[in-house]
Amino acid sequence: MTTAVAWKRKDLLGLEELSREEILHVLDTANGFKEISTRSIKKAPALRGKVVLNLFFEPSTRTKASFSLAAQRLSADLVDIVKEASSAVKGESLVDTGRNLEAMGVDIVIVRHQQAGAPALLARSLDACVVNAGDGTHEHPTQGLLDIFTMREKFGDLAGKKIALVGDITHSRVARSNIWGLRKLGAEVGLIGPKTLIPGSLKELGVNIHYNLDEVVDHYDVFNILRIQMERQNKGLFPSVREYHYLYGIDSKRLSRMKPDVVIMHPGPINRGIEISQEVADGENSVILRQVANGLAVRMAVLVLVQSAKEAHGG
Amino acid sequence: MSKAILVKGGRVVDPASGHDKVADVLVVAGKFAGIGKFNERDVHKQHAQVTEVETLDAKGLVVAPGLIDLRAHMGEPGHDSEETIAHGAEVAVHGGFTTVACLPDTDPPLDNVAAALFVKRQSEKAGFAEVHPVCALTKNREGKELTEIGQLIEAGAVAFSDEMRPSDEPGGLLRAMRYAAMFDRAVIEYAQDPGLAGGAMNAGYEATLAGLPGISAVGEELAVARACMFAREAGCHYHAPKLTTRNAVRAVKRAQKLKVRVTSEVCAHHLAFTDEVVRRAYDTNFKVFPPFRSADDVAWLKRGLKEGVITCISSGHHPVAPQEKELEFGRAPFGAVGLETALSVVITKLVNTGDLTLIEALEKLTVNPAGVLRLQHKKAAIAAGFDGDLCLFDPKAEWEVTPDALMSRTKNSPFLGATLTGKVRFTVTRGRVIEL
Repeated sequence: MTTAVAWKRKDLLGLEELSREEILHVLDTANGFKEISTRSIKKAPALRGKVVLNLFFEPSTRTKASFSLAAQRLSADLVDIVKEASSAVKGESLVDTGRNLEAMGVDIVIVRHQQAGAPALLARSLDACVVNAGDGTHEHPTQGLLDIFTMREKFGDLAGKKIALVGDITHSRVARSNIWGLRKLGAEVGLIGPKTLIPGSLKELGVNIHYNLDEVVDHYDVFNILRIQMERQNKGLFPSVREYHYLYGIDSKRLSRMKPDVVIMHPGPINRGIEISQEVADGENSVILRQVANGLAVRMAVLVLVQSAKEAHGG
Repeated sequence: MSKAILVKGGRVVDPASGHDKVADVLVVAGKFAGIGKFNERDVHKQHAQVTEVETLDAKGLVVAPGLIDLRAHMGEPGHDSEETIAHGAEVAVHGGFTTVACLPDTDPPLDNVAAALFVKRQSEKAGFAEVHPVCALTKNREGKELTEIGQLIEAGAVAFSDEMRPSDEPGGLLRAMRYAAMFDRAVIEYAQDPGLAGGAMNAGYEATLAGLPGISAVGEELAVARACMFAREAGCHYHAPKLTTRNAVRAVKRAQKLKVRVTSEVCAHHLAFTDEVVRRAYDTNFKVFPPFRSADDVAWLKRGLKEGVITCISSGHHPVAPQEKELEFGRAPFGAVGLETALSVVITKLVNTGDLTLIEALEKLTVNPAGVLRLQHKKAAIAAGFDGDLCLFDPKAEWEVTPDALMSRTKNSPFLGATLTGKVRFTVTRGRVIEL
């Protein structure tokens, strides 16, 4: 592998700062790792003797499990730390926590945090690699990468492909990572949702914004559907789940008006019957479970790349 | 028996009189005694009581009235680990400020006579810049019961403000302005609608991409416009502090056109940065309140300064302990130190760019803030009988802002690593020369 040439970052904080080449390099590396999952002994020695730490300040099921499995398949030792946000406020600071764990010989810290920029703060303070597993409403780079990986499996080159993100863009780190990555690969990106949940300023990134899903339902090749969070209703951002479903829910009726080979994606966890109906989630056009499987390969690639970049630079 | 200070050969820039040419300035017993051409013999001849003359060579330096700051958080009482009045007064002198208005958001707040007298006493004891209290408008800054404004003025209060007023009950502010209007003191009102203030940086494109909650520009416009209307109704002098947005500048301009008594101010650092810097590294030294806004807003601030809509420039000095700044961006407190960089920022970002002439810029750092604080009869003019406060600076000297270069106890400056132009060499205050 030519990782030292194409990948020089000890941290993965977001897709914004990555070049098109760097994104493609991660995806190519992930392709290599995908094959491991098909073996009967699903192990590679790339991180043997290294310590990977899951530092999660926010609940997570699939991302944490996916990173854990990725680390274990690469033969790393794994430590899990789940912290209550409230105790972190009163007690030890994030930087102190990171430094303490680093003193125990941690090589890679995978961090999820409610606060945007928390992984950047950690990356600045530590010699260890830092991988962002979702920070506030900023970015979720490995989710963005696995979404793009899954789209490329279907379409190959994404240049000119039309990708829609549907739902709460304002509060979605998945949306931001998707937008950065897809734009860099030359895709056309559309954001669909209520005006209260789509920041108009995102137009500056060269994306389309639609408030009416039905008008553009046959335009896009991919619909990546974001989870709608119930607490946004209480903040007066949309009136009710029923109205949301009426305006933006992806059901068989809308699916029937989409392109026949349209790809339906969802980063999970799904609210069945709200942003996506049961039949569509489990239907032929859905690649939701494939996203999960691909996530593992993408995360293995990221762990190997950051660690080898750190070693190449004498870290 | 007194001491004279003779400042020789500097470019004397005195915005109060419009004087801008090379001259000597004489200070006797802490007061200005003349401007023109002097030698030591003249001094002894004309001022028999003078026993000692200290001569300062000001060649190549600008000799300006001591700078006056409208906005410094001095920490004391309550946050003494971050800053004290005595130490803050010394920091001020390092930045060329000889008079500083400190803010009432202390713990306990400056809402009573004892607290105002405490500020005055600490300032006298320290003997550097004069620190004057801006006292709270309402008890405990709660926006409900009025403070004893009449007695607070007697105790030294120079203006009134609830600084980040927690209450959003508009009638309260109107009543307070009516009462304050009797005493001819400015009311300085927090220029942001509290209901729209919950965020970490400027609302907009950069905040969206940073994933940080935004502080809306509309909130500032709303608060400023509302306070202007109340000032009109109350016949009160309203000072709009730390403006950052295009539409707040326009709101002030409209009120001034209607002859409402409104002055306004910008903090020096708001002229130097836009919200773009925040996203670059989530560096909490860029977390200030109000937040750094857009390039368009900064252009409007400069325009407002040039047109005279914005009358003052302040330091916005706000020390924050390092362990508090070394937090996630969303959790870290707002605030940046500014007393030691304000003048250099003004020279670098306003004068050297051609936005303001030097005398226009200095007007906003001396005579105009003196007016807001009602100190214009004894400060901020190089004229006989006025307090002999001077700031002598080299307008061409460049310096790099490093933690070691700052005397401030905390180093939370957004300018760390930047090179600024203009360096204070001497400050003269209370009949004393402080060489820097």
